[in-house]
Amino acid sequence: MRNSHKDATQMQISEAELTSLTSDLNDAHYETLSNMHATRTSWNPSQTPEQIREGFSRRNFLTRSSLFAAGGLLVATTGAGASTLPRLMRTDSPALVGRKATSAPLDVRVAALAASLENLAVSTYGSALSAATTGKLGAVPSALANFVKTAMAQHKDHAAAWNAIISSAGYDKITAPNAVIGASVAKAFSKVTDVPGVALLALSLEEAASATYLEAIDVLGVHQAIETAATIQPVEMQHVAILNFVLGRYPVPQAFASTLGAATLAQGPSVKRR
Amino acid sequence: MALDEHRLDELIEESRDTHADAMRSTNELIDEFVESGLESRASGEMAEGENREFAERRSENLRRNLVGVGAAAGMGAAMLALSETASFASTSTDIQILQTNQSIENLAVATYTLALTLPFIGGSSANGVVKAFVKETLAQHKEHEAAFAAATRRLRGVPQTKPDPVLLKVVKRAEPTLTSAAAVVALAIELEDGATQTYVATTGALRNINARKLTASIMGVEAQHVSILRAVQALLGANDGALIALPPSPLTALPAVAGSVGFPAAFYPISGARPKTEGAIR
Repeated sequence: MRNSHKDATQMQISEAELTSLTSDLNDAHYETLSNMHATRTSWNPSQTPEQIREGFSRRNFLTRSSLFAAGGLLVATTGAGASTLPRLMRTDSPALVGRKATSAPLDVRVAALAASLENLAVSTYGSALSAATTGKLGAVPSALANFVKTAMAQHKDHAAAWNAIISSAGYDKITAPNAVIGASVAKAFSKVTDVPGVALLALSLEEAASATYLEAIDVLGVHQAIETAATIQPVEMQHVAILNFVLGRYPVPQAFASTLGAATLAQGPSVKRR
Repeated sequence: MALDEHRLDELIEESRDTHADAMRSTNELIDEFVESGLESRASGEMAEGENREFAERRSENLRRNLVGVGAAAGMGAAMLALSETASFASTSTDIQILQTNQSIENLAVATYTLALTLPFIGGSSANGVVKAFVKETLAQHKEHEAAFAAATRRLRGVPQTKPDPVLLKVVKRAEPTLTSAAAVVALAIELEDGATQTYVATTGALRNINARKLTASIMGVEAQHVSILRAVQALLGANDGALIALPPSPLTALPAVAGSVGFPAAFYPISGARPKTEGAIR
């Protein structure tokens, strides 16, 4: 039988075990992080003219359907619904009117989109923690609180990785959450009243990030940028798996990751040369 | 037993529906592929050079998607042949990488098949969710194996039918110790993590864009296997095996560590990736 008697906030392992596990996590995390720094510092912006353009599919990344387009956010969390979303993402979308074309290298624009999505994840998880602290979400399971804190820290690192690439190419870092998608997220978050609601919202963000990185791997030209996306995409997929598990969904629902629901470059922020 | 077997079957069925939906999107790609062929011959809407570049890149991307999705869906050779072009550049190293990837999948299939013969994994004493997870994961690895084989053939290579020789030794060594669910889970984590690290590393190394796309679409799924297995391992270790349920109930009973043990690093490591040619045909 399940352990239905257990207290919500009571840890099921000893503090020593948890500390040991956390220490292991941090060691693994920083070992990998140092590798990422080494990779990023070797990125050569002079490669961009040819390499960045090579293999890029403008039409796909600019116009494909988006998980977050025009209120599609929560619809997409219903699994099959994600694949039947209408192609709402158009350049004449009200949210995008007035956006100017940018001449920044395409890899930089992809990195900017990625950084803005990571910033959005950080801010959303931060909002979730605040809501939990104020009791807005009711009793918060310790596992979910731990998930949010750990995932938020990882998204901060992801944003830093993309910003290192952007910065090394001579452009300003992207420090704000994605404005276009953030509007949909804010609207959805305002309706969240409980833990499953937060988990569903987080699932939407993580699924979109995973799809976007898979798309990015397909279109990025600079090797180091591809490596960055390749080392982050599986981690976002892991976030998805744990959220699925917590929500009672089958945790690994597909044999192949999909780009369905990926964010688009048109939803990305403007990039400015320093 | 904590698990509602019927509900679990429903969940797996739902996941298959989602998978099928994704495969149906292939039809859209095929339509766009045909359309792009017509478009590439169009003129006037864009400058000649830009039009050519646009059409080439779009076609290339569509071909990539067709192959990635097509291979996954077990599409016929005629459909996949649509994307056979000279631009499908590759190297012999790409073939070796794909063979190594397939060798890892071969071993995963063999190992999960073996696991299901054990009473505490595939028998009546097994946790229902663990049993279902192993069965579904086995099916997914079979799909991965078939996809790598198809990709190898497309590069004029010979698919690898044998398991990775080094990892096979790991499994052979572990086999006598597989006397509990925890031992099987530990071995599965080692294999899945090795697969993920290898695919993450080779995604950046593959020159052929279709092979890269395919490998990338698989690496995250293996990472998800790792994630769930690590969560299961933590729950078994904490004597909370009854919480291995969908959903875990009550959610508040989940130990805090279950929320983060599944993703120990912000960037998936590659230090444990198998050498690119380890599973290649020699």
